[in-house]
Amino acid sequence: MAEYPAHLVREHHLFDGRTVTIRPIRPDDAPLVREFLDELSGESKYMRFQKWVHAPSDKLIHFLTDIDYDLHMALVCTARHGEREEIVGEARYVSNLSGGICELGIVIADAWHKTGLAGVLMEDLIHAAKERGLARMEGFVLSANAEMLRFVRALGFKAERAPQDPTIMRISRDLQGA
Amino acid sequence: MKKIWLDSYPKGVPAEIDPPACGSLGELLGRSCARFRDRTALSSMGVSITYGELEGLSRDFGAYLQQVLRLQRGERVAIMLPNLLQYPVALFGALRAGLTVVNVNPLYTASELAHQLADSGATAIVVLENFARTLQEALPGTAVRFVIATRVGDLFPSPKRWLVNFAVKYLKRMVPRWRLPGALRFREALEQGAAQALGEAGVGPGDIAFLQYTGGTTGLAKGAILTHGSVVANVEQVAAWARGTLAEGAETVITALPLYHVFALTANLLVFLKLGGRNVLIVNPRDIAGFVAELRKTRFTAITGVNTLFNALLNAPGFEAVAASSRGTLKLAVAGGMAVQRPVAERWQKATGVPLVEGYGLTEASPNVCANRFDSREFSGKLGLPLPSTEVTILDEDGREVAPGEIGEIGVRGPQVMRGYWNAPSETAKAFTADGWLKTGDMGRMDERGYVEFRDRKKDIVVVSGFKAYPAEIEEVAMLHPGVRDAGAVGMPDERSGEVVALFVVRRDPALTAEALLAHCARHLTGYKLPKRIEFREQLPKTPIGKILHRQLKEEAARLHG
Repeated sequence: MAEYPAHLVREHHLFDGRTVTIRPIRPDDAPLVREFLDELSGESKYMRFQKWVHAPSDKLIHFLTDIDYDLHMALVCTARHGEREEIVGEARYVSNLSGGICELGIVIADAWHKTGLAGVLMEDLIHAAKERGLARMEGFVLSANAEMLRFVRALGFKAERAPQDPTIMRISRDLQGA
Repeated sequence: MKKIWLDSYPKGVPAEIDPPACGSLGELLGRSCARFRDRTALSSMGVSITYGELEGLSRDFGAYLQQVLRLQRGERVAIMLPNLLQYPVALFGALRAGLTVVNVNPLYTASELAHQLADSGATAIVVLENFARTLQEALPGTAVRFVIATRVGDLFPSPKRWLVNFAVKYLKRMVPRWRLPGALRFREALEQGAAQALGEAGVGPGDIAFLQYTGGTTGLAKGAILTHGSVVANVEQVAAWARGTLAEGAETVITALPLYHVFALTANLLVFLKLGGRNVLIVNPRDIAGFVAELRKTRFTAITGVNTLFNALLNAPGFEAVAASSRGTLKLAVAGGMAVQRPVAERWQKATGVPLVEGYGLTEASPNVCANRFDSREFSGKLGLPLPSTEVTILDEDGREVAPGEIGEIGVRGPQVMRGYWNAPSETAKAFTADGWLKTGDMGRMDERGYVEFRDRKKDIVVVSGFKAYPAEIEEVAMLHPGVRDAGAVGMPDERSGEVVALFVVRRDPALTAEALLAHCARHLTGYKLPKRIEFREQLPKTPIGKILHRQLKEEAARLHG
């Protein structure tokens, strides 16, 4: 069992005054992750998985929540409503075995768009990846997802058309050095 | 930006259209009816009506909607009809009464229809009896209060009317049993409307003429808001483009594409009505023998279609003779809706003597944006030049114009562009750049003469004979089946339709067959969206983080196709 990287737990204050917690995901987050995915609009799910996702399978939930914090890292952003905790965003990377390069994915609850949440989540994810010594972060974004492309460019990513598939943009950012 | 395409315009075609003489489509019809009253406006299955008759019938129908049903200006009326005489009568009736028309594909399934009716808020629908059963299933939960049912032969003179209606119902058994309490009859509506006066609806260019539905990324169709002003402008733009090729009061156009689709609606029905021409309505072009027989009897000067249709004609027995006899009379053959394959274009020109002239447009632009010159000598392989009063540019990912000659997303500005999507402000915002360019989702470039070239689509869309299918919608439907664990839909090349849908499936139930899954899909999806090929896999190709690799699926589909 991999050790939980507790040092990555942080509190953030958003522009609108709300406070959220960003922390690495845990296996016992499974019900919250299922709730989170169920609440996402079809469009948000499509942008994340680039296909239609119906009710997420147990296998998918397991893949998303039971991670090794090494090759696969996921941060969730949670908000509290009294006793109840709700996931309002998640970002993750999976790196290849030979190391160095990781693929990223991010999705924010529809009601939490334009709160600055995606920015802090990505900063924390990039921080975690740097800390692991990874060299580059890459991802695939639908060409039609202009909002996401603008967002990642602002975070220092380069975007270029994926060879042979104009519906996809390939984004990448070096992690070391700068 | 410099309108470099203007130097490539044919002589006599203006850079800008004059401000339209009519403020509404009702007025456009009125003018043509006054000028061409005794000329034939429409023919269908051997029956013709004149401009004067179309004026009278649509007046009666409009008066019925307005005075008997008391529908208020701006209310939505759905029309679910194939290419029959009832279509233009219902269309102009509704428009003249100040109502907004929602065109419905008669082959829609109940769930597709239910969404469109609920989203548009239509309160009345005109439906061909053959499709009333689907309507019956879709009706609960919609705002529809009035159903007006019609039979195929309703506008034919007796005894042809009785014979056709009897044959359709009892001999060909084309009418599934239906029951809609309170449904009204089209002929009765005309009779009752005739006794009423059609009040001046005061419709102007800003009023909404159509909510024209088009697919959305995640399945649910969106209604493009097309005003009277937009559609009238597009008619004027095409008419201006046709100067020197088409003459007033002298043309006959073959209308084989469905009128509920915006291409035939504008390019055939509305443009040729403005010109005082005759539309020959083909109710079912898939009955290729019947279609060729109809063409054999008809002297036509123009035809529009999609690649699939021209290809089917060229392969049809008996078309050679039609093509030979139309030499000298046929002036114009326009192809739109999907990419035209060069071999089809070359065969067409060889057979008929006229080139296939390609045009480009989209529902969101009423739809015509570009066209090749109507005096072209040969097929160009390009989308054409921007029409008068139309600006086309190429945009980068941030919505900025790219350097000349570079590839990017085709952007459009002009009076024909929609106001937005109905009840979907965020979709609307995403459809336009800050500078007001409509983002078409098509990737291309503009050459140094101003011709627009198509390269690829930006979004994952499968275009089947000019109809858009979104993979997400098909995946969603497939995954409703309990035996399906995962599904990925992609386009697969196809000689007939250009592209068809291929579906890759990971089974939950190992006993699930392709036939059973296809039957399930057919309950939710219109025919063209149905997968033509279903392939079972152990898993779908995904990136490490779980994004499906569409490109890999597409390559596999292309390989399957051979």
